[in-house]
Amino acid sequence: MSYIKLNKNKCKSCYLCIDVCPKGLIKKSNEIGKTGEFIVEFDDKENQCLGCSQCAIMCPEIAITEVHKE
Amino acid sequence: MNTKELLKGNIAIAKAALNCGCTCYFGYPITPQTEIGEYLSLEMQKNKLAYVCAESEIAAINMALGAASTGAKVMTSSSSCAVSLMQETISYACSDELPIVIVNVMRAGPGQGYIFPSQGDYNQATVGGGNGDYHTIVLSPTNVQECIDLTYKAFYLAQKYRNPVILLADGLLGQMAEPAELTDNPYPQIDNSNWRLDGANSRPSREIHSLEINQNKLNQHIINIYKKYEAIEKDECDFEEYLCEDAQIIFTAFGSLARHVKSVCNYYRSKGIKVGLFRPKTLYPFPYKKLNELSKKTPIFIDVEMNMGQMLKDIRLAILSNARISFIGKPVGNWLKEEEIINATDNIIKEHYASI
Amino acid sequence: MQVYSAPKTIKENSDFTFCPGCDHGLAIKIVAQIIDELNLKENTIAVASSGCSVFLYNFLDVDCIESPHGRACAVATGVKRAHKANGDNKFVFTYQGDGDFASIGLSESMHSALRGENITAICINNTNYGMTGGQLGPTTIMGQITTTSQNGRNKEYHGFPIKTAEQIALCEGTSFSARVALYDIKNIINAKNTIKKAFEYQIENLGFSFVEILSSCPTNWKLSPKESHEKIKNELSKTFPLGIFKDIKND
Repeated sequence: MSYIKLNKNKCKSCYLCIDVCPKGLIKKSNEIGKTGEFIVEFDDKENQCLGCSQCAIMCPEIAITEVHKE
Repeated sequence: MNTKELLKGNIAIAKAALNCGCTCYFGYPITPQTEIGEYLSLEMQKNKLAYVCAESEIAAINMALGAASTGAKVMTSSSSCAVSLMQETISYACSDELPIVIVNVMRAGPGQGYIFPSQGDYNQATVGGGNGDYHTIVLSPTNVQECIDLTYKAFYLAQKYRNPVILLADGLLGQMAEPAELTDNPYPQIDNSNWRLDGANSRPSREIHSLEINQNKLNQHIINIYKKYEAIEKDECDFEEYLCEDAQIIFTAFGSLARHVKSVCNYYRSKGIKVGLFRPKTLYPFPYKKLNELSKKTPIFIDVEMNMGQMLKDIRLAILSNARISFIGKPVGNWLKEEEIINATDNIIKEHYASI
Repeated sequence: MQVYSAPKTIKENSDFTFCPGCDHGLAIKIVAQIIDELNLKENTIAVASSGCSVFLYNFLDVDCIESPHGRACAVATGVKRAHKANGDNKFVFTYQGDGDFASIGLSESMHSALRGENITAICINNTNYGMTGGQLGPTTIMGQITTTSQNGRNKEYHGFPIKTAEQIALCEGTSFSARVALYDIKNIINAKNTIKKAFEYQIENLGFSFVEILSSCPTNWKLSPKESHEKIKNELSKTFPLGIFKDIKND
């Protein structure tokens, strides 16, 4: 089971990670972050994450701190 | 064994810099100081030291800033209008607390002026042309021997206080040759291992910057720098007194012009008139205290400068209303001759002090 | 198995202070990754400049000095040469904006390249003066609206933008000059490889190496981060083509 670790305190709601996830596993959450916008969350109930790291590579804030691939 | 040799002021400065371990020089040509860079270009390249013919004085002073951050002994030299170009980075270096020796062999101004000697950069050096609250230490040599001695001192004070030091010479001093001894550097090495940038190896990384977006921190930083200036003002004032002890009249003068004034003192002494000379060797810190003491027993001061009276305001601040003060000066060109100073002094005495 | 981790050369607990979606964060992250990979941290002195790029020292866990506006390459020259005079070969790079590198500091930048100064310069080109609120800069493209070109850049009033990477490539002392972008994963990976190459050229003492990074400025462009990346892909890379303009090993 692949997964990412997201540091919510670093997210600035730029949403660039949402666009690059090939499985659409990152989406806006209901939680408001430091820029006053909804921050993102990783939602992978069906274990679809590929561990491809594209979200982490794209994140300008290093808010996605780890990617694990199984 | 050291012996005296015939040395030009500019060459003396260059030799002294090398002699006390200057490993980095960055400069751009401008008369009347170009010989410093010319001499060093050969010597430093021979010894694989850092020498760059910079594309401008702005680049030169910034290379000096970078080199100083490594803890190296760094010098740049220039003259008047081109030292104006360096003012921004001098302000940075004061905030960054980086030791740079800046030699200004003064020429005439304002603007491009010309290559005639002048003492017109007293204000630029002591008050500064950069922004914000800062001081540079300013040393003023009077002869070629002091070009050597004060170059050593400039490197020492720069490292000791982590602050730029300006060696304020003039075109006359830079270009003239006289016997001087290239003595050994008398000052100790200053340890800079706790701040220099040489890679974060087995220690936390370091940052040197003047930008500070927290106003409390910026306030505190400037207050800390001023504590350093307080120490400099307390400990580093340097001056020469010549026949001041019993003087009725004290001349004040700095740099090479003071030598003419010394001869004027001898002239009056031979006539039985008690005249002395007070010469600040540090223009910042200015020896206010000593001058103030002198003004309590000497009623008349005459300030002589090759400018329109730039040091005069510091003399006034020092003597307050304790004594009377007159000014003799001209802005640029041939130094005031002894006869000119004597004539002007006679007139001042006739006009104001008929009793002498 | 962990396949991605945050770079070690980023200071702990230091959040980037750039606007949301700004490519400065990506660029600094890439630089930190390369410093990790090449094991340079203990031997590096970075030179920050004025503008948004000044905050480099808050994030990058290496020795760092801030330079007066535009003078980063001169400061880096001093750092590099002083260490060399002391017998040390330190890794020295500048991190500058396009206003810093190519406008106020063009003289220092170009002369460092001409001297073949053995340093690396990274220039973030976001086509405006970002920190002061988006004014016309040396790289603002024709027709681009900024706060000081409100009808768009035109040649009568403003003249033409500078193609920095091409200009630096013309200098004989340049070992490597390239332009990269960060608008998608492929380009980010390419940018990383390119900057790594520029760093390696310095390590091999080949001379001045330079990488211009086409970067977004969503706040001043008044676009979303996604739209900003599309603008770089579709518009900016027409004026500023991506690629390598000088490679001393291949030329």
